Amino acid sequence: MKIYFKSLGMHLKGELEYRVNFILSFLSQILVFFTYYFVILALFTKFDHIKGFTLYEVLFCFSIIQFGFSFNEVFARGVDRFDNLIIQGGFDRLLLRPQNIVLQVLCSDSDFVKASRLIQAIIVMIIALCHLTIPWNFMRVFTVLLMLLSSCVIFFGIFLMAASYCFFTVQGLEVRNVFTDGGKHMAQYPIGVFTKGFVLFFTFVIPYAFVNYYPLLYVLGRTDNLLYAFSPLLVLFYLIPCVLVFYWGMKRYASVGS
Amino acid sequence: MKAYLTYFKLKFISGLQYRAAAWAGIATQFFFGFVYIMVYIAFYDSGGSNLPMQLSEVVTYLWLNQAFLALVNQFSRDQELFKLIKEGGISYELARPKDLYFMWYFKIIGQRLANVTLRFIPLIIVTALLPYPFHFGLPSSFSHFLLFLLSLGMGTLLVTALSVLYPIITLLTMNEKGIVNLIITLADILSGIVVPIPFFPIFLQKISSFLPFQYISDLPFRIYVGNVSIENGLFGVVIQFIWVVLLILFGHFLMKKNLRRVVVQGG
Repeated sequence: MKIYFKSLGMHLKGELEYRVNFILSFLSQILVFFTYYFVILALFTKFDHIKGFTLYEVLFCFSIIQFGFSFNEVFARGVDRFDNLIIQGGFDRLLLRPQNIVLQVLCSDSDFVKASRLIQAIIVMIIALCHLTIPWNFMRVFTVLLMLLSSCVIFFGIFLMAASYCFFTVQGLEVRNVFTDGGKHMAQYPIGVFTKGFVLFFTFVIPYAFVNYYPLLYVLGRTDNLLYAFSPLLVLFYLIPCVLVFYWGMKRYASVGS
Repeated sequence: MKAYLTYFKLKFISGLQYRAAAWAGIATQFFFGFVYIMVYIAFYDSGGSNLPMQLSEVVTYLWLNQAFLALVNQFSRDQELFKLIKEGGISYELARPKDLYFMWYFKIIGQRLANVTLRFIPLIIVTALLPYPFHFGLPSSFSHFLLFLLSLGMGTLLVTALSVLYPIITLLTMNEKGIVNLIITLADILSGIVVPIPFFPIFLQKISSFLPFQYISDLPFRIYVGNVSIENGLFGVVIQFIWVVLLILFGHFLMKKNLRRVVVQGG
């Protein structure tokens, strides 16, 4: 863990060397990710609700997903850009070192410019929560924290899964976007607004529904079932197959040479 | 002129080689089309007041967007040109006795047409076979279809004229990220790739009508689905033409100006 924080600090220092570039990129990222929110804002000028969910409920739902995604983009950038390690042969070097391999991949890269997106997600979440009239109590606050945690966990799992893909082939990498960006796009709305097939898919195959749909229902007071409040914890189990796939892929790994 | 057409052919033919990438692209676009449509279906199911487009129109619009994405989007930039600028290859380009602006213009248009040629046919065929509500509809009339083709052609010239500007700006800034990224992001929103223009808040629609971006793909697609009448469509095509001429003149001028201050990188 100490190694990880140290490498994080080094990456940050490295990025801050180009200070103007860092600030400009940081600002432009904010605008880039505003486009995601723009879709929702624009559509809600024409529609009052989406299957009973109002603008701020959707924004809250979306900010949870954005938070987890950008958290991983900043702190697990090495996993996100794993294809670079494979294509350039850097992975061989990591294998030689006497350290946990996932930890080393985590240390290999980070992207603090993406922190702008993280901050943006937090701001949107606060705005959304201020506009919602939620009867706050300890359990609800706890559920929101669980949602944030599970959002970070699920994207780490998905990134790891996507990284494993590189062990088999480095072609057609954009297919992976279907699972990361495509799933993310659907999960920005409460999953329940879609047809049943999708709800089942996002419950049992990629469990986005446990991140921001079932617990959302509890926080908004649509249900009093405590199972809904604790459902984000189930996402932790999702990590197991992801890690297994990664190690399984690593066994089959053949270096690209050079 | 012949030399420029050769550039176009070169890019077009080499672009057609990337068939595996195209299949991956088709699969991705098909999936994203589905996802976007699902969102609109959920919204339309919830009902709304005075909606600017019918659901079937929106669905066809979104499929057109996916089918022609490789042609009309701003975000996929010609990495080769940026590399030329950043790594000094531009000195070779300058040594050639041809107008650099049009060399780049024809390269970009060739690349874009090659990319879209590989992608749009399978996507259109499959989506036309889908059942309601995912069905890709026919054009609202034959004259709308002809006008759509004309307007899409103009849109292609327009998007190319805009895309050439990005490397030209980079000649001066040496970094394609900062300002160019900002313009591209705004351009993509305002060209209707994210949300069709009629769904914009009124004030943004007004601003957008004074900018070239919505004439790239929003106009042709809305002509196709019949959301724009023939008269308004023809008027739109005239505006497209004016923007193409203005942007080419501007790009040509800006390039001349920036080339005077160009710095060659590397040795």
